[in-house]
Amino acid sequence: MSNTIIPFSTARLRISEIDFCGWLGQATPGDCLEYHRGFLALDGMPMATRLPPKDRTELLKLGRRAMWAAEQGLAHLVQRRHGPDDFSYLAVARRKPKSSPVSLSALLAEEVA
Amino acid sequence: MSFSPSPEQLHTLLHEADAAARSLVRRMRLPRHDLEDIRQDLITDAFARLAAFDPARGSIGAFVATVMAHRATRIMRRVIAERRMFGFEPTSIDAPINDGESDTLADTIANDGGLGAVWGQAGEGASTSAIRLDVERCLGALDRRDGVLCAALTTKSVDELAAEGHGSRAGLYRRIQTLRGTLLARGLAAA
Repeated sequence: MSNTIIPFSTARLRISEIDFCGWLGQATPGDCLEYHRGFLALDGMPMATRLPPKDRTELLKLGRRAMWAAEQGLAHLVQRRHGPDDFSYLAVARRKPKSSPVSLSALLAEEVA
Repeated sequence: MSFSPSPEQLHTLLHEADAAARSLVRRMRLPRHDLEDIRQDLITDAFARLAAFDPARGSIGAFVATVMAHRATRIMRRVIAERRMFGFEPTSIDAPINDGESDTLADTIANDGGLGAVWGQAGEGASTSAIRLDVERCLGALDRRDGVLCAALTTKSVDELAAEGHGSRAGLYRRIQTLRGTLLARGLAAA
């Protein structure tokens, strides 16, 4: 049994959720963004104390937004491993999917849910 | 003590105002069309102070000259302060390009060069159509429920929607914050 304890490195919030959305909106297909470096599953946990609470909350929102972007077909999400609990989380922009336009006047007639 | 000027004294007042206004325009290199405004400013100020005139202490001409000199100094300081603030001599957009011509500076500035364009206001024609197409494209990519909320917010505030029972204020603001990111990710930035 090893007696060596590998300490978790300190993570930091690199980009906010809204900045990620801003990048996504203006990115061309193939553009790549490292939206987090660390270990996302651990960095978002309160007991891990790798990030201050405010940054952790923002990181969770960022993670959810990145997943949303992948589900909407706006980005591919990939990871690059550097070492123990050290990953680069990358978003690769995709071509924006086509959607049928909806006129504002059509929506105005409907009731707010 | 109230004082009512005689016709001769009034003539003196107007003469002093003409001289002071011309002197100020010349010294400050102000546009010629400012002469009338400055003359009126000086006359108005002098009339407001006529109640303080005491004929036993001096002539109306000397009194008015002193009053107008003080007023002219205040006008000059205001002009200098404006020039310092703006870095150049401000010119009215309605000023003629050349004296005697009917064309004004406004006629030479395109809509894209105006202050509205600097602040992101849509110009006429093609840019307005492009924005409308972008908005409709993004609305088509939204969940129907979110699209209806966006449309409702064009005519009602969050407080009004909450008062009508369409959710709590906090809940509506949370949805708006999420929508802001969604629209941004679709390429539609805030106006």
